[in-house]
Amino acid sequence: MDAQARSVLYRIFRRIPNRNIENLLRRWNCLSADQLRALDYTRPKWMIVEHVISFCEESRLSLKHITNLEMIYHIETPDQGIWHACQLTEAQDDAVCVELTQFKEQFKAHLHGVIRHISIKMKKHEDEAIWIRIAWGDNFNKPNHLKPTYVVHHLHTSYVFISNLMAKHKIFLFQALVIATKHGSIKDGHLSTKSLTAMRDLLLRRYQQVFPNAHSRILQERNSLPSHPCIGKEHREHEERRHQMACEVFGHGPTPKLETAVYRLETRYRGNSNYTLSEKEEFLRGVVKFSSSSLLESLRHCVTSGMAEGPVTPLLSAITQRGRNYFVITDKGPGVSSQASAQRA
Amino acid sequence: MEGRGSAVNTPATSRPVTRRSKSYGRSCVEAPSYFWQTPGHLTVLKIPTSREAAKSQIITNKVDPEHIALLVKNEWKLSYVTPLYRFRHTELKSYSKHLSAFIIAERQQGVAVEVGLEAGFKVTFTSVLGLAETSEDAETVFIQIQSKPVFAAAADAPKVVWRGWLTCVNGDPEYLRALPPDFVSLPLFCTSGPESLTTLVKSWFERAFDCNFGSLALNSTTLNWLAALWTGCHPTCNIRYLKLAWSLPSQPPLDVSYTVNPQDAWELWNSIHPEESTDGRIDIKEVQSFMNGLETHFFRHFKIYLSAGKLVKVSTALGSAQLDGKIKIGNSDYITTLLTMLTECALLKMLT
Repeated sequence: MDAQARSVLYRIFRRIPNRNIENLLRRWNCLSADQLRALDYTRPKWMIVEHVISFCEESRLSLKHITNLEMIYHIETPDQGIWHACQLTEAQDDAVCVELTQFKEQFKAHLHGVIRHISIKMKKHEDEAIWIRIAWGDNFNKPNHLKPTYVVHHLHTSYVFISNLMAKHKIFLFQALVIATKHGSIKDGHLSTKSLTAMRDLLLRRYQQVFPNAHSRILQERNSLPSHPCIGKEHREHEERRHQMACEVFGHGPTPKLETAVYRLETRYRGNSNYTLSEKEEFLRGVVKFSSSSLLESLRHCVTSGMAEGPVTPLLSAITQRGRNYFVITDKGPGVSSQASAQRA
Repeated sequence: MEGRGSAVNTPATSRPVTRRSKSYGRSCVEAPSYFWQTPGHLTVLKIPTSREAAKSQIITNKVDPEHIALLVKNEWKLSYVTPLYRFRHTELKSYSKHLSAFIIAERQQGVAVEVGLEAGFKVTFTSVLGLAETSEDAETVFIQIQSKPVFAAAADAPKVVWRGWLTCVNGDPEYLRALPPDFVSLPLFCTSGPESLTTLVKSWFERAFDCNFGSLALNSTTLNWLAALWTGCHPTCNIRYLKLAWSLPSQPPLDVSYTVNPQDAWELWNSIHPEESTDGRIDIKEVQSFMNGLETHFFRHFKIYLSAGKLVKVSTALGSAQLDGKIKIGNSDYITTLLTMLTECALLKMLT
């Protein structure tokens, strides 16, 4: 095993708690049963890693196997690093007919055509997601396996999730995706999170949505505390209305775990009534960043508790409606910049 | 005994004013009366409703630049301390020795032998001359603790493991003049380093000078003042950004950080408090109007009431201040304004 393979192995194990190592190695299926039994997981991690390396050398495993291990690890624990969403647009007529093998061939063919040294691995996961690992080299250098890019795509959806992509490789990856999926172009989705799961849940609408309807008497089955018959709530109607508004925007029940939302404000200051600010209103530029361990839940709670005034402002509802968490707000549009992407599929 | 009243918004006269320090063997405790009487005077502090605008000072004209470098760029945790009994600026060397011995003794008490235990502690007390503004202010004292690991080579430079300083800048002159003769007031204590050492230093001071320490948390009024004062400095010194951070009590808690373009922030401030205004004093109403303006602008976009949460941090290139009593000094030119405000907070906290 060469130095690079060893480094990759170190990096994988560095992040895993000892108790998860056994499962990972089993799934990897490259070490024999005897070797697995011989590993003592109560030892310090560096000892375990040394053991694994010696077993790998015994079994003559190569970089290929190690990168496979890394990929399995990432598929098991997808919520690390920073993921960015991109959206494919201008689907061609036969985009819906693209098959997995076709996608794989076209994708690899394009990249191998433009970059001499590159290593691409693709895996299809049970939930229909295609995972792609790319180690980039260039015309003179071998692929760098210490900084691979990961791409996740669900065929026939318009979203692609990307992690750890350097600016100089962006154009190559984008071209390959566009060609392989038979679309016209791809653009930045303005959504980045640590959690791939959250990103997918948000964009593929995998959370419990609530739709406005005439008889909005919903959601009272949520755990309201049993109240004494003699106690009447003065603002029950307001409370219910706020709750309904909040759930229409942010969903009901567990929400995708986004952590941040950033708004770049380039709007004018409209003034207090106290001071007669000059007729010409000045810009009050700034950047607002919301952060929380679960942003959508916090925002929903703000609306239900009255900390935020309802109906929910389009700036906040755009997070779920448009599936993004980076916005540039100017005075022109109805609150969300004209940069806002086309309607989601 | 001179009595002194106060004309203050808060009903200070309706509460007894207490001094935290213990009695010194003399019973200066009268029968339960409305005010504690110290040997001498009643003191009541006013909470200011207006202040001078922040003035830039090339502080390095007054203070040794090396000393300034010690204060800038670290994050300091704030405490207040009651006046020190018989503290002398001339005895700093002896204090260094005593504190050093105290720390070593405390560390050795009942502690099993640890690998890597730092046996050698060197304490240095330095007088930082020039920070004091008025004739009533005592000179700042800077304390540094260095340590040398037991097994280090002789040539290894000792590492600074803890720093702290006591200061009084523009302290209330009436209060300072009213102090009994043997007392020195350096109410603001800033520390940086492991909490265990801070506690040791505090206990030594408490024993040696019969004083009391307490934690100094800032309040949102102070943070609002700093936001306005710092923004007002923009023409003379680029503040680079005005960053305000709120924490809203939702479940889970929501943090909102609003970074305002410095020029735009200054324009807003200038419209409320024009630069050419007559006496250079800023009224608290102007500060409130400024913060209100920012919160309103925020509300217009997000419909979220920032007043439902609390302002926890204000920062600009000139420095930062946090609600839990931590500060950072970014630019020494405005250090006097910041320290004046903090000295005031320390005195107020101590006396109420």
